[in-house]
Order: sequence, then structure tokens, then C-alpha cells
Amino acid sequence: MFTIHQEDLFELVQAPIDVPALHRRVRGPEDGAIVIFDGFVRNESHGRATKFLDYEAYEPMALSKMREIGAQLHQKFAIRRVAIVHRLGRLEIGETSILIAVSAAHRAAAFDACRYAIDTLKKTVPIWKKEYFEDGAVWADGELPPAPPAAKPAS
Amino acid sequence: MLLFGRVRELAGYREEAEDLPEGATIADLFDRYTRRFPALAGFRSSLVASRNQEFAAWDTKLAEGDEIAFLPPVSGG
Repeated sequence: MFTIHQEDLFELVQAPIDVPALHRRVRGPEDGAIVIFDGFVRNESHGRATKFLDYEAYEPMALSKMREIGAQLHQKFAIRRVAIVHRLGRLEIGETSILIAVSAAHRAAAFDACRYAIDTLKKTVPIWKKEYFEDGAVWADGELPPAPPAAKPAS
Repeated sequence: MLLFGRVRELAGYREEAEDLPEGATIADLFDRYTRRFPALAGFRSSLVASRNQEFAAWDTKLAEGDEIAFLPPVSGG
């Protein structure tokens, strides 16, 4: 189990992500820094021109894993608030797919926490991206989440 | 039982209920699907399983009402 921080925000959305609104959401008078990671759709992949992307998620599990990442950030770094929002469905070139905003009293914790959040999300959160090109579509190469050890013998 | 990404496309559906014998494991459930969709077998080493929305080992025993999913490598972000 992990501690829930009421003012944090974890969402999967279909509509465009409102970056300034999330910036305001994590910003408070106790803070001295906010680090924002804005991941958006690039116009090429491995040298092929991308037309658009389509994201799908195992939504309840993805949200639960995003909340776990948030809780880990509070344990590992001296941060105050975190917002993690991932968009699903069809995204056009230049549209934000993932926004992570972390506020802290001092910049180092905010930088470190934001980096940890995106790196962990890419390994553990069940979301998949399909890349569409002029001449076809492929599921993006991803990372296989670490499998737990074999189950204990039945008691 | 839930499938996502490329294995969802391969099987042609996302969600299905299954009855398995007492003592069956996640691996047994997957084997049942590879008999119906032989192409799934080649994906086993690049899938991780989950039980009730937590990553789970293949030898995890199933219980009535469990929600099992087979997840390809994740590519969010």
C-alpha cells in the first residue's frame, strides 16, 4: 500500500492536455520550483515520417501504476505536489501525450522526481502506442515490465 | 481475461470470460488461448501477465472472479 496525497492528480484523458492548467494546479506559495515534462508526438520514428499515433491503455491498472509512481516520488524526493496526465486515442503531430508536473521547494528534487517519473512510467504503466505511417502502422517497441518471481507453493 | 495492443489485434478481441478447472494457473489460461490462436504462442516471451491489475508470475493460481490480462511491452509516454 502507499500513501495518497490528496492534492496530486493522476488522469487518463481523451481530450487535449491543458498544460498551463496543470502548471497552476501544482504551483503553491511554499514552492520555489516546478519541473514540467511535456512529451509530445514527433513527426518521425526511426527515419519514417509519422502521420499520427494511437494510444491505448489498460485503464484501471494504468491509473493505479501512475498513483504508485506519485507515491514513490513523495517517498524518494522532497517534493510537494505531482500531476501525471496521459492522453489516449488518436494524437496528431505536436500534440502532448504525457504531462508530468512536479513542484518542490528546491529545484534539484523537482528535476530528479520528474525524471524518475517519466523513466518509471515508460517501464511499468500499461499503455501502448501504435505508430501510423504513410505505408502502414506498427506497435512501438516497448519495455517489458519486470515480472514478479514465481508464486510461492500453495499453502 | 483481457488482451491489449498487438495481442488484442492478433486474437481479434479484447475481453472474454473463461472457466478453468480448479488449480489452473495463468500459464494454463494462456495455453488455452494459444490452442485457439496459435500465433499467440510466439509472443509468450514478450508478454507479462497481470492478475487483478498487479503484475503476476505465470505460475500464479487462479481464483473465481480473477481479472487476468496479457500485456505486451509497454510504450506509453
